[in-house]
Amino acid sequence: MERDWTHSVDKKAILKTRAKALAQEQKDREALEESIELVEFLLAYERYGVETCYVREVYPLKELTPLPCTPPFVLGIINVRGRIVSVIDIKKFFDLPDKGLTDLNKVIVLHDSEMEFGVLADVVLGVRSVLVKEIQPSLPTLTGIREQYLKGVTAERLVILDAERLLSDNKMVVHEEAAS
Amino acid sequence: MAKKDNGFLKKLLATFKVEAEEHLKTISLGLVELEKTLPPEKQLEIVETIFRETHSLKGAARAVSMTDIESVCQALENIFAAWQRGGAIPSAGLLDSLHQTVDVLEKILSSPEAEETAEHKSKMAALIRRLQGGAREPGIRNQGTAAEQGVSTAEPQFLSSGPQPQIPTLGDTVRIPRAKLDRVLLQAEEFLSAKLTASQRAADLRQITTLVGDWEKAWAKFRRSGFGMGPVELENRQSLIRNSQSREFLEWNDHTVTSIEEKLAGISKSAELDRRMLGRMVDDLLAEMKSLSMLPISSVLEILPRFVRELSRDQEKEVDLVIQGGEIEIDRRILEEIKDPLIHLVRNCIDHGIEKPEERKQNGKRLRGTITIALSQKNGSKVELIISDDGRGVDVPKVRSAALRLGLIPDDAPALSDQEALSLIFQTGVSTSAFITDISGRGLGLAIVREKVGKLGGMVSVETKPDAGTAFQLTLPVTLATFRGTLVRVNDRVFVMPTTFVERVTRIKKKEIRTVENRETIPLDGQVLPLVQLSDALQFSRKNTTDDSRDTALLVILGSAEKRIAFLVDDLLNEQEVLVKTLGKQLSRVQHVAAATVLGTGQVVPVLNVFDLMKSAARATVASVKPPIQPEKEAKKKSILVVEDSITARTLLKNILESAGYHVAAAVDGVDGYTQLRSSEFDLVVSDVDMPRMNGFDLTAKIRSDKKFAGLPVVLVTALESREDRERGIDVGANAYIVKSSFDQSNLLEVIGRLI
Repeated sequence: MERDWTHSVDKKAILKTRAKALAQEQKDREALEESIELVEFLLAYERYGVETCYVREVYPLKELTPLPCTPPFVLGIINVRGRIVSVIDIKKFFDLPDKGLTDLNKVIVLHDSEMEFGVLADVVLGVRSVLVKEIQPSLPTLTGIREQYLKGVTAERLVILDAERLLSDNKMVVHEEAAS
Repeated sequence: MAKKDNGFLKKLLATFKVEAEEHLKTISLGLVELEKTLPPEKQLEIVETIFRETHSLKGAARAVSMTDIESVCQALENIFAAWQRGGAIPSAGLLDSLHQTVDVLEKILSSPEAEETAEHKSKMAALIRRLQGGAREPGIRNQGTAAEQGVSTAEPQFLSSGPQPQIPTLGDTVRIPRAKLDRVLLQAEEFLSAKLTASQRAADLRQITTLVGDWEKAWAKFRRSGFGMGPVELENRQSLIRNSQSREFLEWNDHTVTSIEEKLAGISKSAELDRRMLGRMVDDLLAEMKSLSMLPISSVLEILPRFVRELSRDQEKEVDLVIQGGEIEIDRRILEEIKDPLIHLVRNCIDHGIEKPEERKQNGKRLRGTITIALSQKNGSKVELIISDDGRGVDVPKVRSAALRLGLIPDDAPALSDQEALSLIFQTGVSTSAFITDISGRGLGLAIVREKVGKLGGMVSVETKPDAGTAFQLTLPVTLATFRGTLVRVNDRVFVMPTTFVERVTRIKKKEIRTVENRETIPLDGQVLPLVQLSDALQFSRKNTTDDSRDTALLVILGSAEKRIAFLVDDLLNEQEVLVKTLGKQLSRVQHVAAATVLGTGQVVPVLNVFDLMKSAARATVASVKPPIQPEKEAKKKSILVVEDSITARTLLKNILESAGYHVAAAVDGVDGYTQLRSSEFDLVVSDVDMPRMNGFDLTAKIRSDKKFAGLPVVLVTALESREDRERGIDVGANAYIVKSSFDQSNLLEVIGRLI
């Protein structure tokens, strides 16, 4: 009984100092280094990340209405609380080869002031911070995604997409007049 | 504090801008009026009006300390005051410089900051100098000298009756920014989806009530037959006891079901009442919102007098513009859409219609041409707008040859009547103009006019008489009618066709379809109409699974302007109100799809673009509506059930299997899959493993435990790659196990081919 008590006092003390140290380190780090916040997701067995500031929401894909006469990367449209959002497959947009059969159960809605669309993902893993200095420029051969759409890759091979670039890319916009 | 002041000033400036624009518009209209030959009293009346307007503008400018505008207004006032006193008719030259003054003021006001930049200042200083000169100069024909007197001191006479009120009063009208109104309008329209959902719910409940009714009938029948028990069993004493227990239970059951039924009937009834109430409320709200956005047509016509004046002067023509019926009210959004077409038509009148004075003289016409815009209310929902000129008329033979040159009519086509030939001017590229100017001649304008008017649900037609003039007749809706859509199905997909363009829906025998010049046609009311398969127009791949053994074809006849085309669809579902939504920013324009809508069930459905459809139908390859082939293959076709919770994977699997010639049904999870297995016959099951409610292993086990499905092959397709999982799959009785990461369609088809 007593032993337990002293033990817990020790524990408390240890935890306290540890917490202090950690807090200190965190503060120092933050002061020294910049980090970005990412939504991390799986797509065709690869891990990708996009900056949270471009993510409006993550939406489960239950129904999808395909549209005729659209390029293959446009999978269709969905209803997000009364608003129509188009859903695209970035694998097809980047001409990546189809790898296996994947679930594609989640839509990550990307947006900025000018543009909005949903990107399909298999699994959304969560939100995490990555230190800017840990991001290395990516070799295009690594994922097959052209360099211009990449912000870089982390040591654990998390591929960071350049959401700003994707959102502002004219190739993404479908504008087709009827051929006459 | 300074910041706050700044914000306040900005607000003031914004209000000033709106106010100033209105004053300037009235002044400009007045100046145009003054150019006409009018009786002196009428002239004085106009001068009085523009004088007042200028004075109000001056006051407003002073309030926001736009001193230069204030002094320009002062100079204008001086001139108008001189006119008033002199009862004079101003000269054309002076009127021109007055117009320019108004122009400059408008420009300054429309610049983003609306501030008086150095450039503006110098411009205005020049204007003031010129205007001061103008007040003295020959501007006044009758009593030139009278003007001198009031140059610096002139304050309008009516000032004595008290200063113009500059403070906004709490009157009967309020000024609301358009953006705010539009937002409210959009929100009100969203209520339509609440109405649609309510009727969907009411229908669902009605359906459940019917189901319960059916059950009750079956139950009553079963009961009458003595619970399916023969007399022999009843003799058995033990079973009698058990029977009495079950009787008790059945009694209780009866009571429960009856009370559920009563409750259900109650809910169904109130859902129906809710639906009706909500429906009426939403309809009333929308009607009121619509009336809020009604504006007199004159509000768009106001720009025309000056436009006509300037354009005709540039072309050395003399044109009067007469507007009749401008007070008729029309939805603001329609007015906005119709503005450009109107300007285009008026421009056409000046460009192509009205002749130069010399030519008119030769033809014995009045030197000044006249363009008339006459509006009349046709009935509660339509307005007719006729834009006519007394010019030379459209050269019909020229139109004909232009159309021939463009290949719009085949060389050997039977001679078109004049009216038919004339309507060709609405076709892209047809222009009678020999040369192209910056404003016209490219032959696009009228095509755009027709498309715009058509989009609004209106019509446009034209009449012409050589040397007597041309009249364009536009029929427009008064309000944006609630969009009604016809729901059709083609290739298992649902689409909405705007009902305004659906002329009719009809069913014809397939053998009536004839190919003429490589195109399929159908006879309808003694006319021959081109026939296009909607699935071809939408570029769907032909389904090789022809389950269409019907010998009739369902057609939707779409018509816009003078074109009519029959579209073949698989099924007609409904005709209803729909709330149109844009496709989002990424899909800025999609061929054949104009928008989307959400049905009461929550299903998202594309709304088709009729103009695109008509356009692409014209070049569609020859479709082949096959006569019903006797389905000998049909019997051999194997049937597969796909069980998969992910919609993308489900669709992909379904497509792969269908294109391989299988008949495919899909289920969203194990429970759904098992239910479907029990209700229809399948030759094979393809199932995912990780699913809600009942996973693939459990489904396989359940299938294996049922004698009925002993021989039914099961293929598991899964993301689980471990050996244990594979073993578990085999343990529960799956015939094949395909790992998703290495999935490709050939190995799936090969596996299936081996199993069935």
